[in-house]
Parts: sequence; structure tokens; C-alpha cells
Amino acid sequence: MSTADIATRTTDVMTPTVARKHRGVLEEVWHNFKKNRLSLAGGVIVMVFIVIAVFAPLLSPYNPVEQFDAPPGEHHPLPPLSRSKEGTFFLFGSDKFGRDILSRAFYGTRTLLQIAISSITIAFVLGVFMGAVAGYWKGSWVDELIMRAVDVMLSFPTLVLAIALLGAFGIGKTHIGPITLSNMFKIAIVIAITYSPRFARVMRGVVLQEMSEDYVDAAKVAGGSGWQILAREILINTIPPLIVQGSLMMATTVLTSASLSFLGLGLQPPRPSLGIMLNESRDFLFLKAWWYPLVPGVFILLIILGFNLLGDGLRDSLDPRQARRTRG
Amino acid sequence: MGIYILKRLLLAIPTLLAASIIIFMLIHLAPGGPVRVMLGPAQDAALVEKLRHQLGLDLPLHEQYLRWIDKALHGDLGISVTIQRGASVTELLAQRYATTLELAFLSTVIALLIAIPTGITSALHQNKLADHISRIVAMLGVSIPNFFLGIMMILIVGVFLHQPWGTGGFVPLHKSVRENLIRMLLPSLALGTAYSAIIMRMLRSSMLDVMSQDYVRTARAMGIGWGSIVRQDIVKNALIPVITVIGNSIGYLLGGSIVTETIFRLPGVGGLVITGVFRRDFPVIQGIVLTIVVIRIAVNLLVDILYSIIDPRIRYGEEGK
Repeated sequence: MSTADIATRTTDVMTPTVARKHRGVLEEVWHNFKKNRLSLAGGVIVMVFIVIAVFAPLLSPYNPVEQFDAPPGEHHPLPPLSRSKEGTFFLFGSDKFGRDILSRAFYGTRTLLQIAISSITIAFVLGVFMGAVAGYWKGSWVDELIMRAVDVMLSFPTLVLAIALLGAFGIGKTHIGPITLSNMFKIAIVIAITYSPRFARVMRGVVLQEMSEDYVDAAKVAGGSGWQILAREILINTIPPLIVQGSLMMATTVLTSASLSFLGLGLQPPRPSLGIMLNESRDFLFLKAWWYPLVPGVFILLIILGFNLLGDGLRDSLDPRQARRTRG
Repeated sequence: MGIYILKRLLLAIPTLLAASIIIFMLIHLAPGGPVRVMLGPAQDAALVEKLRHQLGLDLPLHEQYLRWIDKALHGDLGISVTIQRGASVTELLAQRYATTLELAFLSTVIALLIAIPTGITSALHQNKLADHISRIVAMLGVSIPNFFLGIMMILIVGVFLHQPWGTGGFVPLHKSVRENLIRMLLPSLALGTAYSAIIMRMLRSSMLDVMSQDYVRTARAMGIGWGSIVRQDIVKNALIPVITVIGNSIGYLLGGSIVTETIFRLPGVGGLVITGVFRRDFPVIQGIVLTIVVIRIAVNLLVDILYSIIDPRIRYGEEGK
């Protein structure tokens, strides 16, 4: 599921046209980007969470799986700014096992971004390859085959396809023949499979646009083979729109992986995961443990918001024409 | 017109067939084979064989598929293995779909009620305060995960405000329409919020697009009042792309209902598919995924056709190819 389902369909309307090529494209982009305060804010938010993810072991006050309330077992979660009996200070409160919510949220950010970044990377590579081939050899049987496959994949709502695949593989570690997939890697692959068709579609459109440019004809006349022209000339020019898509799709990938965790199909306890924390908090709502869902929820919200703002800002700065039209 | 519809229909069939093959193959992706997975660790060879035979898994793959799809086309989605042993999946789904489709419908209504006025206001007051506020709220709306929103709603309405209808639970529509609608309010709001933000953003940019068109300027130059231009031309034309967004959102709504039904403990297909995954009930999973894909393709087809009726340019563009 996701807003991407709709976003992809509507990209026809909103796909950025490549910024006009002349000297100083990067400066122009940066100049446009800087002017938009919201997208700057998005960039800052994303940076902050990447720092949290990378340095979680250093930033977390405690071990995220350590239970601070003896005896082990379920406890009444403690509110923010309180201390356990043993004197452990919980800035954002504790969870049902007496674990520090702040430390778990930091580590949860780490696992969430690990899954999201690895799945988007796999989806990117798969999708860009499929889309580039389909676009360059437009109208050939390869194009037909790839694009029909993309259509079929896109007829599944993202979350539904991810759940179906996880349902088939099963939850937890998976053995496929001699290969053992870790749960985390398996989730990343499943999400990548569901998102690669989106990249393929965008990439094909961008390549088609580039194909009408003079430099491609020039390269053809100069006698380059299809693969050479694709790799050396076209690919570099498709990077800006792909970055925009990548950032916007990071937002939906984060949402998908957090949703899977929330549903209990993602990472398994006791691994710290923001989705699992939200799921666990449901049993403690009646105790008015508001911090239990609030902390992981706000973390996920901010991560998604950051990528959305960043993606929107990048789109506008890469395509100033459209930005002016919609922003005035 | 007829040719266009026929072409769209013919294009949808291979997609649906290919999707059904993927769904059918899901069961065979299970490591160790579906029966061993379903029966769990304690398995007796005779029982495995019996279930394999019962599910037709001892036949060649293509025959299995043909049998499965033939039954599915006749409305028979097989038999539940673990959730309700022996129960017809079609019947299980029929009960559940009523709730899920109601949720999807109510969410759409709520989303439109929020999105249309804010989208129009935002575009008419471009770059003024109202525009900035609604755009920031829309950005938050797009970014908030529906499970977080749903939990916070339960916490605030159900726990802090002591409203009995705010804690989830479900009353069937045929028992009490009023109770049912009250209980469905928060789930629909949780599912509809992000949706309304998407529609609002789409409507805003499409309004701005229409407002910059020549015919709007011409109409103004002719001295037609701004109010009537807005009503008769701008809003009407700007709503066309919104229809596509609504049609394409059925996938989002069905996917989102899985999460929403889990939070509010609603007896819909979304909750059922999760139970199916945990209890390895493959016929149930396959039945749900297949019906969701069919609904999605059908609705997209319908929207494309509707769109071509409203906006003939699309039709001629396709036919001219």
C-alpha cells in the first residue's frame, strides 16, 4: 500500500522534465533548492535521522534490549523523565519489559533505514536496468515483455504483494535450497521486488525523453553500439529525475517496511523496530501510556516527512518551470 | 468509443491472467512445499499425502493451475486449511468484504469532504496564508503512517475522552446502522487522511493548471464574473484528473485496510490475510490477493473508460496511434 500507488500513476502528470543542460546545472539546482525552505528542512531531517541510524550505538543511553526492571517480565511502562527502581533514568519512558524507549527508537531507526536503503538500492538497480533496456529498444519485443511484466506487478497494491510474498516465504529466516536468507535481507528483497517496477516505468520514460535529444543521434552516427550509448551517454542524464523518484520512493519504502513490522511480518522481537514498538503499545493504551506509541510514531512520521519534503524540493529545483507554475 | 473500450478490456485480460499465475505460484514458493509448511513440524507421511491429494498438489503444475483458475472463475476459491478448516474461502471472503468495502467507501467520502474544499481554497488563495497552512497540513497528512494515526485516535478519543466508540470494535451494518457508522468513523478517518492529502494536492495543482489556461483569461476578458468562472470552468475541469487519482486509489485503500483493520480489530479481509499468513492458510491468502487484484484492475478499467467519456482527447489520442 502506499501513496506511491497513486503517485506512480500520477507521475505522468508530474514527472520532472530534465533540467535544461547548460553550464552550471548543479549550481542552478542548488540555487533553486536553497530558496525552498521546506525542502531544506527535509534535507536536514533526513540528515539527522541518518546520523541517528549510523551512530545509534554511540547515541543510545542504554542497551536497547536490556530490561531494567527486575524481575524480568511484563511491567507497567514508566512515563518519560522517570527512573526505574534501580535508578535508571528514562528520558522518553520505558516499555513493557522495562527497556529504554529512546534507545529502542534509535536502534529502530537504524534497522528501519537499513531495510529501506537496501531495498531501494536493489529496486533501483533492477528497475533502472529494466527501464533503460525497455526505453532504448522501444517497441521491440524486449520492451513489450518488460513493460507487460511491469504492468502485471503494478496491478498488485504494494503492501498486498509484499504480504503475499512474505506469506509464501514464511516469517523469520528462510532457507531456499542451500542459501539461508536472514529475515532482514529477505524483507529488503521482498520490498525491492514490489518497488522495482516503479523505477522501471520512470526510467523508461526518462530514457525515451533523452532519446529525442540530438546528442543521442550524434553518438549513433559516431557508431556507438546501443549498450555503449546507453551506458556512456544516456545514463548520466537520467540521474536527476531518478534522484527525485528515489527520494520520494524512500518515503513510501520506509512506510511499507514500518507497516510490515507493525503487522508482525517484518523484523521479529526482541530486535528493536519502530513498527513493533507501535504494535506493542496497543496493549497499553488503556493504561494511558501515551509515550509508548508517540515516540516511535513521531520517529517514523519525521523520517517519511523528511524524504517527502526533500523529494518535492528536489523535483521543483530540477524543474524550475513546473515549480513556477505550481508555486507562482 | 466502442473500440477504445474493447481495446482496454482486451489489454486487461492478459494482465489479469499473468497476475493469477503469480498468485498461484506463491504457494509453491514456500520452502519445503506448501503442505509441510501448513501442517507444521509434526507431520505424518500419510496425512501429508492425503492433504496433497485433497488440494490437488500431486498433479502436474499446469494442471493444478488450470483446475485452480477454472474453479476461481466459477467463484470457488478453494477451502480454508487452518483458519476454519473445511470452510469455503469464497464464503469467508464474502462476509469480510462487506466490512472492507464499507471502510474503503467511507474513507473515500471523508477524503473528498476534506480534500475538495481545501484544495479549491488553497488554489484560489495561492501563496496566501490559507494555502501555506493547507499545504503543510497536507504534507503531514501524506507522511503520517495510518497505523500511528489510528493508535493516537484510539488513545485520544477512546482512552482520554472516554468515548466507548473510540476504542475500536465493530457493529455489523444490519444490526444497527447508526452504531456501525459511529464505530467506522475513526477507522475511515485513519485510512482517509493520507488519501485526502493526496487528492487535495492533486486538485490544487490541477486547479492552478486550469487557471493559467487561455480560455480562463478569455472568459475574464469577456467580463464574466470570477465566481462563475471558478464554478463553471475551473473546478469542473480541475476535477477531471482527480477522478483518475480516486480510481487508482482503490489499491491504496485495499492495502491500507489491512493495517487499519488490524488496529481497530475490524472483521474485514485485511485482518484475515494477516491471520492467513501467520497460520499459513494458503488458499485464504491466494483468494484474498486474487480478489484484490481483480477489483483493482476492474476499477482502473472503469476509471479509464469514464475518463475517456469525460475527456475525449484521451480517446482520440489512443485511436490515432
